[in-house]
Formats: sequence, C-alpha cells, structure tokens
Amino acid sequence: MLANLDLGVIVSSLPYLFGQGMVFTVTLTALAATMGVVLGTLLAILRLSGIPGVWHLAKGYVELMRSLPLVLVIFWFYFLVPYIGAWATGSPTPIQVGAFASALITFTMFEAAFFAEIMRAGIQSIPKGQTAAALALGMTRAQVMRTVVLPQAFRNMMPLLLTQTIILFQDTSLVYVLSLTDFLGAASKVAQRDGRLVEMYLFAAVVYFLICFMASALVRRLHSRVAIVR
Amino acid sequence: MTSTPIPAPDAPEPHSGPDPALADEGLAKGPLIPPSKAASGEPMIAIDGVSKWYGAFQVLTDCTTRVSKGEVVVVCGPSGSGKSTLIKCVNALEPFQKGQISVDGTKVKDRSTNLPKLRSRVGMVFQHFELFPHLSITDNLTIAQRKVLGRSGEDAKRRGLDLLARVGLSAHAEKFPGQLSGGQQQRVAIARALAMNPVVMLFDEPTSALDPEMVGEVLDVMVELARDGMTMMVVTHEMGFARKVADRVIFMDRGEIVEDATKDDFFGQPRSPRAQQFLSKILSH
Amino acid sequence: MNYNWNWGIFFEPSPEGAGTYADMLLSGLLWTILTALASWVIAFCLGSIIGVMRTLPSRAAQAVGTAYVELFRNVPLLVQMFLWYFVLPELLPAELGSRIKQLPNAPFYTAVICLGFFTAARVAEQVRAGIQALPRGQRLAGTAMGFTVAQTYRYVLLPNAYRIILPPMTSEFLNNLKNTSVALTIGLLELTARARSMQEFSFQVFEAFTAATILYVMINVVVIVAATLLERSLSIPGQR
Repeated sequence: MLANLDLGVIVSSLPYLFGQGMVFTVTLTALAATMGVVLGTLLAILRLSGIPGVWHLAKGYVELMRSLPLVLVIFWFYFLVPYIGAWATGSPTPIQVGAFASALITFTMFEAAFFAEIMRAGIQSIPKGQTAAALALGMTRAQVMRTVVLPQAFRNMMPLLLTQTIILFQDTSLVYVLSLTDFLGAASKVAQRDGRLVEMYLFAAVVYFLICFMASALVRRLHSRVAIVR
Repeated sequence: MTSTPIPAPDAPEPHSGPDPALADEGLAKGPLIPPSKAASGEPMIAIDGVSKWYGAFQVLTDCTTRVSKGEVVVVCGPSGSGKSTLIKCVNALEPFQKGQISVDGTKVKDRSTNLPKLRSRVGMVFQHFELFPHLSITDNLTIAQRKVLGRSGEDAKRRGLDLLARVGLSAHAEKFPGQLSGGQQQRVAIARALAMNPVVMLFDEPTSALDPEMVGEVLDVMVELARDGMTMMVVTHEMGFARKVADRVIFMDRGEIVEDATKDDFFGQPRSPRAQQFLSKILSH
Repeated sequence: MNYNWNWGIFFEPSPEGAGTYADMLLSGLLWTILTALASWVIAFCLGSIIGVMRTLPSRAAQAVGTAYVELFRNVPLLVQMFLWYFVLPELLPAELGSRIKQLPNAPFYTAVICLGFFTAARVAEQVRAGIQALPRGQRLAGTAMGFTVAQTYRYVLLPNAYRIILPPMTSEFLNNLKNTSVALTIGLLELTARARSMQEFSFQVFEAFTAATILYVMINVVVIVAATLLERSLSIPGQR
C-alpha cells in the first residue's frame, strides 16, 4: 500500500536515473528528431516530386513505416543494421554497431515517416501562387523549394513537428525491449534490483508526465503565437 | 415579391399553381396555431427590463416590450445592435442577467421552468437554416415531434408532410438538406418549427444568408403565416416585409430599444435621429 | 552478406510442441486482433464520454475531461502498461491484488484495459474536435426545438461529429492495433512477440520479421478498405 512507499530508493538512485538514463533519452530524442526531420523533409519532397518510381518509393516507405508497430521496427533494425553495415563496408561478417547507434538509426528511420507526412502537408499548404511568383522571378525549382516553400512550411508546421517530437520522446522508452538504459530502463533496473517496482514506476510516470505536460503547454503557446502572426 | 397565398411548388412537380388537394385540406388536420393561455389582452411575449453582459461588455440594456397574441413585430437595427441576442433571450438560448421574459405566461428565467418544454412551444428560424444535415427532410420535420412531444411516428410524419406541402416542397420529402437550395432549406426550417405547434414564432434574420433570388420565396411563406394570425417576432432588414405585414417595428441600437412604434408611425415619422439615419440608409438601396 | 535464407522454416514444427512456426505466428495475429478489438470498445465508449464532457457547458465536466486527456497523453504507453501490470495490484488491498496477479490471461486483460484507457484519450480529442467543428447554430437549433442537452448530442451533434471524424478515427484504430505490440513487455503473446520468439528459436530473423510485417500490412489494408466502405455507406446525399 501507499503507506510503505520507500522514497529513499528514488532519492539514492537519482544520479543514475538522470545522469545516465535521462541523458540517454534526451540525447536520443534530440538526435533522432533532428535527423528524422531532415530525412522526413527529403522524403516529402521526393513524394511530391512526381518523378515516376521515386515518388512511389518514398510513398511506399512512409506507408510501410506507418503501418508497422514501433516495437517490430526496433527489432527489425536491431538485427538488420549489422548486415547493412557489412554490406556497406564490404565486410564478410555482420558488423556490430553499438546499442545507442542502433537505436538512433531505428528512431530516425521510423520517425522520418511521420515527419515526412507533416512536411508534406506543410509544403502543400503553401499557396501555388508563391511558387509561381518565385519562378516568375527566375528562380530554379530547387531554389524555390529552399528559399520560398520550405521556410514557410517549417514555420507553419513547427507546432506539429514539436508535438511529434514529444511523442518521439515518449516512444524512446520502447528501447526497453533491447534492455538499453534510457530513463525508463534505468528506473526498471533499479526497480528490479531493489524490488521497488511501485516507487520506481510511479516516479518514472510522474517525471515523464511533468516533462511532456510542460513541453506540450509550451507548444500550445507557440501555436497560438504562430496562429496570430499568420 | 408576389402575394400568392401559397408559394408555388418547386420543379419537378409538373403542375402549375398550388396543389388543389393540399389547398383544400389546408391545415385542417390540427390548427396551425394552438390555443394559448394568453387570453385577449394578455401579452404572448413580455420582455421586462432585460439586460445582458458578456463579461464586462453590456450587450442589452434594460429592454422592455410586449408582443400580443397574433401580433407581428419586426426588430431591426444596425449589426451589433443586440437584436439577435434579444430574440435568442426569448427562448433562453442566450441567458440574461437582469430582468424577466414571459412567454405565454411562463417565466423564462425561473429555476422551476422546464426550458425544453417552453422551447418546444416557441418556434425558431435561424439565419443559416440549421437543418440537421444527416437527416432526410422528413426526419428533420419529425424528429423533435417524436422525441420532444412524444408523437407517434405516423402522426409526426402526417403533420410534417402537411407543413412541407404548405411551404410547397412536397416533392423533396425524401431528400437531404444538402440537396436543396438555400431558399428551400429555409422553407423546410419554417415547416420544421411549425410542426411543433408553436404559440410563437421567432425569426432570426431568416433571409440574410440567402441569395437575392431566393429571398422572395421565404418571405412569401412568412407573409402567409402572418396573415394566418401567428404571433411573430422577426429580426430582419427586409423593410418591404415590415411594411406589408408588421403591426409594430422595434428599432434597436447599441443594445437598447430606441424606438418601439406602430408600423405607420415608424415609417412615417421615426422620432429618434438614429432610427431616421438607419431608415434612410437601408431604404436608399 | 552471408545470411542463410530458409523460407521453409514456417512449415517446420515450432519447439513449443504443437504446430508449426506458421501456426505460432497466426496465434499471435489472433491475439493482436482480439486485444485491439477489445481495447477499442473501451477506448471508443470512454473516449466519446470524455470528448463530450470537454464540450459541455459545465466547467467541472470540462475540467475532468481535460485532466483525463492530459494525464493519459503525457505518460508513455509502456510506462502505463507497467503501472497497470506491476503497480496497480500492489496498491489495491492485498487480497484483491494477489487475485488479479493470479488471473489466467492477466497480460491480456491488463493490455486491454491499458490500451483502452490510453486510446480513449486520443479518441476523446477526435470527438471533441468533431463536435467543435460543427456550426454553433446546430446546437442552438437542437436546443430551440426543445431537445435536452442529452437529446441534442444524441440526435444532432454526435451523428454529424462521428461522420466528420471517421478518417482520423480509422488512424486511431490502427494506432491502437499497432500499440498492442507494446504489451509483449508484460508477456502478451501477440504477433510481434511471436515473431521475436520464432527468431530466438530458429535464428531465422528476417523470415520471422518479414512474415510479421506482411501480416501487419495486411491488417492495415483490410481496416482501411473497411473504413472506406463504412464511410461510403454513411455518406449523406448532397454533402461535399
């Protein structure tokens, strides 16, 4: 019952939980979000390119990722990445990549599909007149995309991109299935070592809640500011 | 604007003029205007010192007026003058903080008043029709009769279709609102309100969302209704309608009733400069 | 690359005794579908109630609805899964707690409840958005005809709101279906878990995951086709 909660176990494990676990979680989230947005934007452009074969591939990739559970994708990449590494380097045996690198590749590739859908909507939301005007000024298609369309699309979609990043932050907890030490993984290890599941999991829930709640409140404020400017 | 007693049914009904069968029956199956408590002299709607605020902003200031049984009162005024808000106070769609309104003797602002019951006796027609888009025209006409008044499906349908014929749209009973023009939708909305046997009808700018060529068909139905003796409170800019059937005209500005006069007085010599200004503006085009 | 492909593996008997590896995956698929459907029932009903609460005039109802959504949306699903499975029984009276732990199929019931409550928050957001997307006059018109608040929702607002939100609700249904795989952490033998154990027993990693992938894609296609048919049958003549 709640009366015999042991808060000491939380306090004594704080350095481990945050120094290792949370650092892992935040680093993974930040890197995967950055790379995911870049890759996602690229996928979105390819999908909208209309080049036969290319846009089909981009669409197929996005749809495939979106129809699979993240847990399965984590397993896929965990086993696939060593083989891809071997193929890329010409090595005869699968290349061992670190657990962090494997997780980073997985989340980048997976979230890119979701970022791609956001960026596609963002690009499509820019009026055709903008492109026409830029082309009329003599810009190339690539220049139009880089200097006119993408900056506006990013700006409009920023709240959605950030919301997706909060989801990514929560999703990184699934590296638990690879026994990695992210924040939840750290909490879980302490919980099992000391037999203090109730304290550790409740504490983890509270920490995740506070971070995500405050982050989404910030995104909402940003959203209303963007909405006013437009 | 024509003065045909009943609007001609829409195409594709292949006959001219009112359907004789329907004209014969008229509304014989139940009176259009049900008996009310408001005996001779007692007002159907009594608005007494009504004030309303949105936060610190006052939208209605001490509004007082009476509408007698069978009377047609047109409420006009510039936009933002509070006329729509006032009419929505009558059936408590908008709450008000001060004053009282009685409809047929029932107090609107009273904890013991059964508001759904009161509202079911007050018909309302909205600017944007507000037919229920997922229901067929017949279902739109019958749903409240069945669910609020507890009429049987058969009775409700009979009454609904009678009224649909009255507004000249029998051919469209099985269609959905999205398949009708704006003018047709508004006529259905009037029939839907009438199907509840209201003692009073409220109209909130019933023609201002319509394309100009559809205004006439809706006004014709309203004129007909007025001539049948329905008690009506109508927010509108259609001064032609006011001249034709209104008994009184109320002019509102900035939340106040500035002028409350008989039709002839109002159009003859409006007393307040604000009303004069409004009239000259609205009649000049 | 020196990976030894062996597509015949599916027809070899699994080490569990009964049946082949293919049977193992299909039983996983069945649990995935069962968990997804059962939790969706909870999510749909509870989510509709919460979503409606957020649109009611009552401040208290709005606050309860908002609190629910924020709570369940801001904690990772995996953490919620652990709270239901490991923590809740400990917080209940000892007797009840141990009875829950000994329940046969405890992972299944836990997963259904956890996913139901989790997805309800997302359904609630869709329902709220759908109701708020309707013209304000619809609520007024219902009220003016004498409908009570409940009748206005039942006959006017909800039938239209559900139609509007059918496409995003389909996505939520699919998300819920994919999220069932998170329950492998508490021991639910659903499709991903079965693919994983096939990989562990047989070492045929990619065959196992390819099969699971194809099955997930197939469910997605079936659901999307079904949703399209549903949308068509619910479409109203003359609208859009």
